Amino acid sequence: MTENAVEINNVTLHFPKQRNALKMLINLIWRKKERFTALRNVSLTIKKGEVLGIIGKNGSGKSTLLRIISGIYPADEGNCKAAGSISLLAGLGTGFSGHQTGRENAILYGSILGHDEEVMVSKLPEIIQFSELGNFIEEPVRTYSSGMKARLGLAVASAIHPDILLIDEVLGVGDPQFKEKSKKRILDLVKSTGTVVLVSHSFGLMKEICDRLVFIHKGQIIGVGKPEEMIKLYYSTTGEE
Amino acid sequence: MVENLCVFDKLNCEPEIMSEALPTPTLENVGERGESWKAPFTNITILFKHRFLVRNLVRKEIRGRYRNAMLGYAWTVLEPAMLASVYYFLFIMLAGNPDKMYPVWVILGVIVWSCFGKALQATVASLSRNGQTIHLVYFPRIIFPMTAMQGNIIISMMSCLVVIPIILLYNLPITIYLLYVPLSIFMAGFLAIGLGMLVAPLNCVQRDVEHLFRFIVRAGFFLSPVMWTYEMALERGAFGEMVLYNPMVVPLTMARHGIAGESLGIPLAGILGSLGFGIVMWVLGSYVFNRYEAGAVKHL
Repeated sequence: MTENAVEINNVTLHFPKQRNALKMLINLIWRKKERFTALRNVSLTIKKGEVLGIIGKNGSGKSTLLRIISGIYPADEGNCKAAGSISLLAGLGTGFSGHQTGRENAILYGSILGHDEEVMVSKLPEIIQFSELGNFIEEPVRTYSSGMKARLGLAVASAIHPDILLIDEVLGVGDPQFKEKSKKRILDLVKSTGTVVLVSHSFGLMKEICDRLVFIHKGQIIGVGKPEEMIKLYYSTTGEE
Repeated sequence: MVENLCVFDKLNCEPEIMSEALPTPTLENVGERGESWKAPFTNITILFKHRFLVRNLVRKEIRGRYRNAMLGYAWTVLEPAMLASVYYFLFIMLAGNPDKMYPVWVILGVIVWSCFGKALQATVASLSRNGQTIHLVYFPRIIFPMTAMQGNIIISMMSCLVVIPIILLYNLPITIYLLYVPLSIFMAGFLAIGLGMLVAPLNCVQRDVEHLFRFIVRAGFFLSPVMWTYEMALERGAFGEMVLYNPMVVPLTMARHGIAGESLGIPLAGILGSLGFGIVMWVLGSYVFNRYEAGAVKHL
């Protein structure tokens, strides 16, 4: 298949700068726009069935690019097209409500991620089993440790199989045993999902599973290519430790 | 023979391949928003399409309100009842009003007004308070103010259970007009959401909006017939007609006449004005929300 799963054409995205009321008024009068450009003329094509990694320093625009693909931010210039359902795994368990039980939160989180009632009902036993919460699943989430919350979040988020999976640095939650288990679960998900875009700082893992890497620096794509070359480029651009 | 087998194989396989390949996804723009001028209508279809999510979010909203409270949902009834008793003493002290129905008018006034006030404040803050979810996933963001309003309508409906002891205590007749009570709650929620949608994007940019609306709700409490009634205003002559410019007079009076078993008793122009205000706000609010929501969430 040579079809494209995602097409990003010349996307530019600005963020407004937060200013106090007086400055805002002055800018309004002078029609001046103070802004920060998070992505500048980014073009990228992701093929169906590809595992693509994105690397770059903190604040280089990696997460913003994933948010463009998932439709959270519309592009200021250019456009982004995608084929099929998209799911973004990021900040696991941030949408949880503390005074509802783990079970209720699993359903809530699943529905926030866009799943139907039937899907959630059928997946729930498997989600609860994977989260290893046992009887705690009937307790309010405010009584959970942060590791338990992350486990429940990962269990829900990884239970579904979208057409395009976006992963934003969610590996490495919980204790070592669960870390192994979650890594395996995500790798399984990566294998069973057609198209995957992965943001991570663990270059070892990226080399292992990615077909191509994209290197982003200061909101621009510096290079796209083989993982080894891009990691080399990353170090030569940003400076070695 | 071999050929035959192949044909069979094909026959057997085809339906499965078909079902797998049926939803071949095509490239589409991500996060596509409908045209803004259609928003007043599409908002309703969106609500239906995402009803599972809406139901879960509304439940979260309601559960969050009375968390860790021993009396829990009883507070939905206790709060207006206690407030009414305070105002009753205050009013007797100031005016010496002998009307024995006065506490009932205040209870209903407080319930309907807090439905409006809380729904308004919740919808105004609906985007800014859900920043985390907004950054996690995209779904039509109209769902945030909608669930905020629905949660408050349901809580106010629970408060309305207070009419049962009131009817028994005052020996009031049970009439068809009793339906005015839930209707007034819906109307209060409807009047709130249009206004809330109109300014929710702006509140992402500057939180001052939220503080301003908290003041508006507090001032409106005294300017609307919550502690007083439409009839009291009518006794003051011209004042009674002026009062009708406040769109909340209709739902507040509706709830009171409903429990008393009377028709509305407000001039038709006043009723139409109030409904018209709600519809205009709904259309305007839907348009503005749809148009500016995407840019506004960048400020979160």
